[in-house]
Amino acid sequence: MQKAVNITVKGRVQGVGFRPFIFALAQRYQVKGTVQNNMDGVFIHIEGDAYAVDQFIHSLPMEAPRLSRIDEIIVTLAQWQAFEHFSIIPSERTGSSSLVIPIDTAVCEDCLREMYDPDDRRYRYPFINCTQCGPRYTIIEQLPYDRPFTSMRSFQMCERCAKEYEDPMNRRHHAQPIACPTCGPSVALLKRDGQTVQGDAIQQAKQYIRAGAIVAVKGLGGYHLACDATNEQAVQQLRMRKRRPHRPLAIMAASLDIVEQLCHVTAEEKQLFISPEAPIVVVKKRKNTMIAPSVAPGLQTVGVMLPYTPLHHLLLDDRLPVVVMTSANRSGVPMIYEDDQALRDLQGIADYFLVHNRPIVHPIDDSVVQVENGKIHFIRRARGFVPDPLETKYDVHEIVALGGQQKNVFAFGRHHQIFLGPHIGDLEHVEVVEHFQREYEHLRTWMGVTPKTIAVDLHPNYETWNIAKQWNADIVAVQHHHAHMVSCMEENHIHSSCFGLILDGTGYGEDGHIWGFELLYGNASQYKRLGHLTYTPLPGGERCIKEPWRTAVGMLGHYFGEQGYALAEKRFTERAQEIRVLKQMIEKGLHSPLAGTCGRLFDAVSAFLYVCTHSTYDGEAAVRLSEFIDDTKIYKTYPFQIKKQDEWEIDLAEMWQAIWEDVEAHEQVNIIAGRFHETVVQASVELVRLALQQYPTYERNIVLSGGSMHNRYIVKRLRQELSKLGLCVYTHQKVPCNDGGLALGQLIIAAHRRDRVCV
Amino acid sequence: MERITLAHGDGGQLAHQLIADVFVSMFRNDRHAKFDAATFTLDPHELAMTTDSFVVKPLFFPGGNIGKLAVAGTINDLSVVGAIPKVMTCSFIIEEGFPICDLKTIVQSMAEEAKKVNVEIVAGDTKVVERGSADGLYINTTGIGVISHSLEPKICEGDSVIVSGSVGDHGVAILVARGELGLVSTIESDCTTLYPLIAKALQASQRIRLMRDPTRGGLATALVEICEDFGVTIELEEERIPVKQEVEGACELLGFDPLYLANEGKVVMIVPKEEEQAVLDALRSQPEGKAAAVIGTVRAINKGQLLLRTPLGTTRRLYRLTGLMLPRIC
Ligand SMILES: [Fe+3]
Ligand SMILES: [Mg+2]
Ligand SMILES: [Zn+2]
Ligand SMILES: [Zn+2]
Repeated sequence: MQKAVNITVKGRVQGVGFRPFIFALAQRYQVKGTVQNNMDGVFIHIEGDAYAVDQFIHSLPMEAPRLSRIDEIIVTLAQWQAFEHFSIIPSERTGSSSLVIPIDTAVCEDCLREMYDPDDRRYRYPFINCTQCGPRYTIIEQLPYDRPFTSMRSFQMCERCAKEYEDPMNRRHHAQPIACPTCGPSVALLKRDGQTVQGDAIQQAKQYIRAGAIVAVKGLGGYHLACDATNEQAVQQLRMRKRRPHRPLAIMAASLDIVEQLCHVTAEEKQLFISPEAPIVVVKKRKNTMIAPSVAPGLQTVGVMLPYTPLHHLLLDDRLPVVVMTSANRSGVPMIYEDDQALRDLQGIADYFLVHNRPIVHPIDDSVVQVENGKIHFIRRARGFVPDPLETKYDVHEIVALGGQQKNVFAFGRHHQIFLGPHIGDLEHVEVVEHFQREYEHLRTWMGVTPKTIAVDLHPNYETWNIAKQWNADIVAVQHHHAHMVSCMEENHIHSSCFGLILDGTGYGEDGHIWGFELLYGNASQYKRLGHLTYTPLPGGERCIKEPWRTAVGMLGHYFGEQGYALAEKRFTERAQEIRVLKQMIEKGLHSPLAGTCGRLFDAVSAFLYVCTHSTYDGEAAVRLSEFIDDTKIYKTYPFQIKKQDEWEIDLAEMWQAIWEDVEAHEQVNIIAGRFHETVVQASVELVRLALQQYPTYERNIVLSGGSMHNRYIVKRLRQELSKLGLCVYTHQKVPCNDGGLALGQLIIAAHRRDRVCV
Repeated sequence: MERITLAHGDGGQLAHQLIADVFVSMFRNDRHAKFDAATFTLDPHELAMTTDSFVVKPLFFPGGNIGKLAVAGTINDLSVVGAIPKVMTCSFIIEEGFPICDLKTIVQSMAEEAKKVNVEIVAGDTKVVERGSADGLYINTTGIGVISHSLEPKICEGDSVIVSGSVGDHGVAILVARGELGLVSTIESDCTTLYPLIAKALQASQRIRLMRDPTRGGLATALVEICEDFGVTIELEEERIPVKQEVEGACELLGFDPLYLANEGKVVMIVPKEEEQAVLDALRSQPEGKAAAVIGTVRAINKGQLLLRTPLGTTRRLYRLTGLMLPRIC
């Protein structure tokens, strides 16, 4: 019996070798017909023996290429067309676009093998790639993904490449960035004045780095600054030129062996290092490591990645085993990705420029992850993950969520798919807002939808309001921590009400104060706050975030009045005069907003212990404080109180008293820091316990979200203690717990509010 | 000590006495005082008129007092639209119990400030209110000037933005003078009459496009308004904006931005690039304009945004002063 069917495959099916795979499958089962990319995904027509057709349909999802992800297969009976062959036909650019934008992946084993084979025509060619690896998102101008719509369009394929490209049995069949030394992009090493350095560019760059120079390297998603990570002087030089005194720098190690020599690596971390996404993984440094101390000053951990482009592989080897590889940008503005901008803006920072002539269309930062409870935990979700969509059960069509002020990421809803955009950065800077608008516009065009509803954080001064007001769409204002909570609910598929414990930096609260240490209960439609940390003043407002000692003064003053200020003066002796002014500001209510946040609490304790009184990067005070503790231990808690007002309030007066006594008794900082961490855990757990007691019918699920949930000790202990209360504990694994994950929650909340409005 | 009583405001004998002793004698305008309204002739020119109320706390501060501020403020508002200030009125609301000697000091400095630029104070009014219903003294002034230079605000790309001196002095001086914060500083208010300075600048260039006195809301708010009103984008360079070290220090401590602090003796101008030097020289030739500086450029005739280029090479967009200054950093 004979049979003809049409098959539409949706999901990540373009740019991942799907059509050659289908071609091979058709050969195997002796079926005829066509395969084609269209706006909807991959469209297949096959006809032949009915049993063979069924076999084909059965094998398709089972054997799909490693980089593909099938969301849906639609099979319909079709008219017999009497094809004589099976062939791949050109892309069809019509149809409603539900296709997925392919993502960039690390160079694959097969390509590496060829690159190191002296007999291969791509021997040591830094742009080798195939259908299973190489650039994608970063080179795409328009969809569907096809060479003429990528930045490879200016490179005319040579005969041999064209042959590989056309040959359905070749592993480079329709590999859009296909290239070779004859026809493809090339590298060059430039001096500061733009003059080319003679000789092998990569070898020369290696020499210079080994000699202590700083080289700007054009990679996949933008420029990096590279220097020898074992050369303390070079690293210090880089810090000085980049004006980045303490913030940890990422490093790239030549191989997994080298990573293991430098750091402690668990089996799960190993998997992440060698994954196609090749993110930066934050791991523990070994003692006596040869990594220069300035790479991650004062930290036990370091962010490491493996080479992920062929160029990186050629640059790093035994003679240059580990380099600093930090994104090249002026602090706070987007990564540099255009050549002329690099030469202009990195004057005075880079000594040389290792460049190439394949334009980057969409810059993207390296993803940063760590392993928590054996699972991936995002600090930054970018290269390798963006813009792969998340599926949702809700209809989020034509909703856009604009994210937070910092670590901004926007999200786009199309039917039941959510596209999180790339890491945009801190919207404080105009350059970042422009970057936002550019990337947003691209994604919008690709999606083919116009937003009807925009979700914006409640904070009246967030830049996202200015963006939202330019568009003609309904604006839904979403409370910051509600968004954090729903973000974690959504990725864990929790759809009914649950608890949300949010430990965060600062977010605008419904009462006009700053929130960031909340116990919430609710769902995407509504929530209520059950408890929070006592409000204390932030004298000088935003200045407190750069100067944690101020927050300490505010807390001590709030809890202990005159005595507290006296203690602050004693502790920060050289600031006695300023403290007297801050006291007046607080008492007069001048520029001293009230805040109850976990991030600021960490800041205050960190400053009080002299760990960090001035912060030079995001979360520095908290990060450095948690470096003192051993997260395999369980510390004793300090005393605290929970008071019942309308809501419960965590009052930490007794903790501060006890910390002060410990300081007086010359207790070690690591012990005090440990007890403080445990106090945050115990106070949170006690809050939850009281809530469970008062509301016995509440669902026993709890999500943990907010920036402070990066803290391994806190999360681990919360998981243990909350489980003991009979709760199921959920954390983030798909998006960051910090503001990088905010847009996901905003989008889901907006979907619920919009629906309510419509009904 | 002699103090203001309610009777000083009842229109009777005491009131007459007060007007004669304090106002008429100091303003030397007895000619007008004999009638219900002042009469005067002005050239048949285009006129400018402005009014403003002054409620500053404290009434006396380093560099001036409420009286000086009230006269200078109104004269400055006339001057920045290209007018020669001619006459003004002033109206006082005085709290019962206010020391008459303080009133005399205040009126004295008003007279002096007006005399500097030959402005006549031609009419006035005095009301006394019960103790507790006003905070010492409020002054309202209204001024009329004759337009000498019709400013044509045709702002062009490439135009320069000039400020006549350091910003934020008045704001910090007032904060310090209140004495509530325990702040110590020698900073004085820049409160002064800008007419002579502006006249010099107008002499030096016929093509000054626009002037503003950046009082409440500071330099940033004044420029945001210009950007929005005329749809231009101005880029300031943070490093070029003159800020006194004491002002900078106080701002750092309080978490304020000097660009949002009030000034009472500064003018910001937009001038064609080629006139920049001439205007700058003219301003710098006067004591109040010594620290004049070019602080930015009109980047584009669109968008209406005020941008600030930071020393790190990044750009921030500035908005109007908002009452709500909550941290945005998560
Ligand atoms: Fe947050
Ligand atoms: Mg005024
Ligand atoms: Zn490959
Ligand atoms: Zn080729």
